[in-house]
Amino acid sequence: MAVSFRSVKIVAISALVLLLSIGGVFFAGYLIKLDREIRDRFAGARWALPAQVYAAPQELYVGLPLNARDLVHELSRLGYREDAELGMTGTYSAGAQRVDLYARAFSFWDGPQPAQKLSVTFSGDIVSAVTDASSGEARDIVRLDPMLIGSIYPKQGEDRVLVRLADLPPLLPKGLVAVEDHDFYSHSGVSLKAILRASVANLRAGHVVQGGSTITQQLIKNFFLNSRQTWNRKFNEAFMALLLESHYSKDEILEAYLNEVHVGQDGNRAVHGFGLGAQFYFNKPLNELRPHEIALLVGIVKGPSYYNPRRNPKRATERRNLVLGVFRDEGLISDADYQQYVQMPLGVVGGRGGGVERYPAFVQLVRRQLEADYKEEDLTNEGLRIFTTLDPRAQEALETRVLEQLPLIEKMRKIKPGLLEAAGAITSADRGEVLALVGGRDVRFPGFNRALDSRRSIGSLAKPFVYLTALQQPDQYNLETVLEDEPIELKLPGAALWAPKNYDRQLHGPQHLYMALAQSYNLPTVRLGLALGPDAVLKTMRAAGYQGEAKALPSIFLGALDASPLQVAQMYGTIASGGFQARPSAIREVQTKEGQPLQRFPLEVKQTIAEGPVYLLTWAMQKVMTLGTGRAAYTQLSPDVVVAGKSGTTDDYRDAWFAGFGADRVTVIWVGRDDNQSTGLSGSSGALPIWSRVMKDLHVRSIEPIPPGSVEEILIDPDSGLRADEHCYNAVTVPYLRGSGPQDWAPCAAQAEQGPLQWLKDIFGH
Amino acid sequence: MRSKLIVAVAALVLAACQTTQGTHQIYPPASGPQAEPLPPPPAQPEPKPLEAPAVVEPPAPPLASFPKSAEQISGSAVTALMKQARQYRSAGQPDRAAGVLERALRIEPRNYFVWSALGQAYLAQKNYLQAESVAQKSNALARGNVYVAVENWKTIAAARDARGDAIGALQASAQVEALQAQLSAAPGTP
Repeated sequence: MAVSFRSVKIVAISALVLLLSIGGVFFAGYLIKLDREIRDRFAGARWALPAQVYAAPQELYVGLPLNARDLVHELSRLGYREDAELGMTGTYSAGAQRVDLYARAFSFWDGPQPAQKLSVTFSGDIVSAVTDASSGEARDIVRLDPMLIGSIYPKQGEDRVLVRLADLPPLLPKGLVAVEDHDFYSHSGVSLKAILRASVANLRAGHVVQGGSTITQQLIKNFFLNSRQTWNRKFNEAFMALLLESHYSKDEILEAYLNEVHVGQDGNRAVHGFGLGAQFYFNKPLNELRPHEIALLVGIVKGPSYYNPRRNPKRATERRNLVLGVFRDEGLISDADYQQYVQMPLGVVGGRGGGVERYPAFVQLVRRQLEADYKEEDLTNEGLRIFTTLDPRAQEALETRVLEQLPLIEKMRKIKPGLLEAAGAITSADRGEVLALVGGRDVRFPGFNRALDSRRSIGSLAKPFVYLTALQQPDQYNLETVLEDEPIELKLPGAALWAPKNYDRQLHGPQHLYMALAQSYNLPTVRLGLALGPDAVLKTMRAAGYQGEAKALPSIFLGALDASPLQVAQMYGTIASGGFQARPSAIREVQTKEGQPLQRFPLEVKQTIAEGPVYLLTWAMQKVMTLGTGRAAYTQLSPDVVVAGKSGTTDDYRDAWFAGFGADRVTVIWVGRDDNQSTGLSGSSGALPIWSRVMKDLHVRSIEPIPPGSVEEILIDPDSGLRADEHCYNAVTVPYLRGSGPQDWAPCAAQAEQGPLQWLKDIFGH
Repeated sequence: MRSKLIVAVAALVLAACQTTQGTHQIYPPASGPQAEPLPPPPAQPEPKPLEAPAVVEPPAPPLASFPKSAEQISGSAVTALMKQARQYRSAGQPDRAAGVLERALRIEPRNYFVWSALGQAYLAQKNYLQAESVAQKSNALARGNVYVAVENWKTIAAARDARGDAIGALQASAQVEALQAQLSAAPGTP
């Protein structure tokens, strides 16, 4: 018995030892696995850093058309605040004719620009001096730091801007430790004291009111684990925290935490880290935050949704003030400061999007253009810095006017409010840079981007290309060529009889070529197009930049072809720049996250249409604005600003377009309905009101009336179309391609009786 | 006799005002063989053109009226940027030079000296197609400025040559020579 009992005991002990050993081996294996995971995660590419997208910087130089109010507006958009002392970067002090500012340092593509105090003096609406405020030295040209307008974050939606502990205001890490994990610098990753304290608090309350997690544990939780509160997870978390502490310093862990922690949500986009948090809530860099703003960020960590300052400002204020109380109790701020800060407003900017993702339509274009050159994961992981062409002032003008005019048009036309949609694009004529883009009425909503992706009939916007085709044949056509405005019927194989009409269903008699365009008459345009042939017209459109699939049919003369507003801007840009086509470009440069230049997207232009005919067409398009369907623009624009443009209206008033340009800005506006039903609006009534106001806001430069060498300007008598002189009362100057103008004199001219130089011959008696 | 001389001189002056096309006149000739030469502008009511006053084709402007250097038509900001671009060029960084010149173009988009310099920067980058396009753009904006045009045609000739377009390069070189001849023939130019 005894023997057998003893052997059983031996067997049992052996089994136990064996089990423990096996368990120990497994446990060791488990620890090794955890350890490797932690090292990989922590030491490797720690975060996928989304590319950061910047607007074009505001340049400051003598002669810049900008007044003090504009500059202050620009500065506040960048999150600068008024401070007469210029106590830190990101501050300014404004007078009526002078603005002093402390510009932030910024690493531009072509080199860093240090932080500097500047003094900008104005003379009315023009910058008259830019000087270094410390030395008083004049500066030729300086840039403000560009606005961060978005980022390219991956599908799972984590967005962040990396910060280093050394760059932070000291109050932030100290305050965070005081609030979240008082014993952070003394515990070894897990704090029994904190767990006990939390347990007592939870038992008292009867449910979970307090967490006992250290900063290290929270970091682990954010790094690896989902937020389900299971024992298994708690167990892993504790061991991982201990392992992490054994490998890394407290400061490294804290820095990781500051960059990892979730601080807010914007739709699908999760805002991580204090760097992006500062931008997201306050629209400025972290090092410019003041104590009450730091307190809010620290407070939000406990529950970004519950304490969302935009949705629950009262709760957020209470939480902030509680945090400020901790700051005071810990001696981080004085009691006087505390009393002052708890009175301060939250200071959170904007609504949805909160100052970071302000221009989704534009950022979408940036993303598409980048995808041609970069892999998806490079864009979402490598922290690239993307410098774009977005001009915040142009963008603001476009957004403001779309949002202001659509309701007015709806009201006036008794259209159901909210039914109309709109899209628009502004580009620089000579370079094709996309300066502003509106993809729909909800300008902050990153949804269907009509400026890029809608394909709507362009209607009469196509007409200039018919006329341009004609003007390229100077032996046949010039601006004074008379076109018939007579009905026409066309039977094309396999199609119904086509009998186009003028929009007003009237006939207007013979028209000069330029007037037929100015008044947007359909019948003369179709007659002209048929004489030229649809192939020739389509070729001109392609030369201007049209890339669609339209077939060479007569219906293209009246715009039965689809394009997006941005494509139209490209086509009209070719006209605006004298026949040089430029691909619409949204990106200037790309930098690595360290600030090294990586790639430049150089300007690309190509002459695709001869300059002379384009000059003549532009002249006719100026007549659209002074005599034709665009003349209402001059209720907004000063009469001495020369602009050229064209209205576009499609069948049954489904689409209202206006496209046109001054010397350096091309603007295209589309207004219509998403269901492609009639709006009853023409280009002049639906799109022109927006277009002309945008051009006014842009202070668009006047087109210079300097003809190229291939063009001569001739005084003619419009009745006969022949040469005029001072004897002709209603003579007009018309540009002709050299050698293609009329040779004979009009009856009203003194020379009518004789040929040119006749009098000289007479003198010399030949 | 004396009046006949005046007539002859006036006729020559008028003839000199003709352009090569020879279709425009500054003043309308008076009628009749006995007419006074150079009649004063008509005293009748001014014609009322709808547009700006009639610009009769001017004689080709004298060379001296063309700006010779960028500084003459550029603001201080663009002048500073062009200087910076030259420094990048001589430091063998044409890409940076091009970046700076594009910055200048955003300020003065129709400054043909900047376009011209950009063409040279592209040439240095071996981007020959754009070098030519941009030089052509400068020519288009320069509206006959020979000083700029001669530089642009040099760029175009070099770009075509580098691309293996021998005939195009020869044509461009011929342009350079013609423009240089025009420059050296002009009085008052160095």
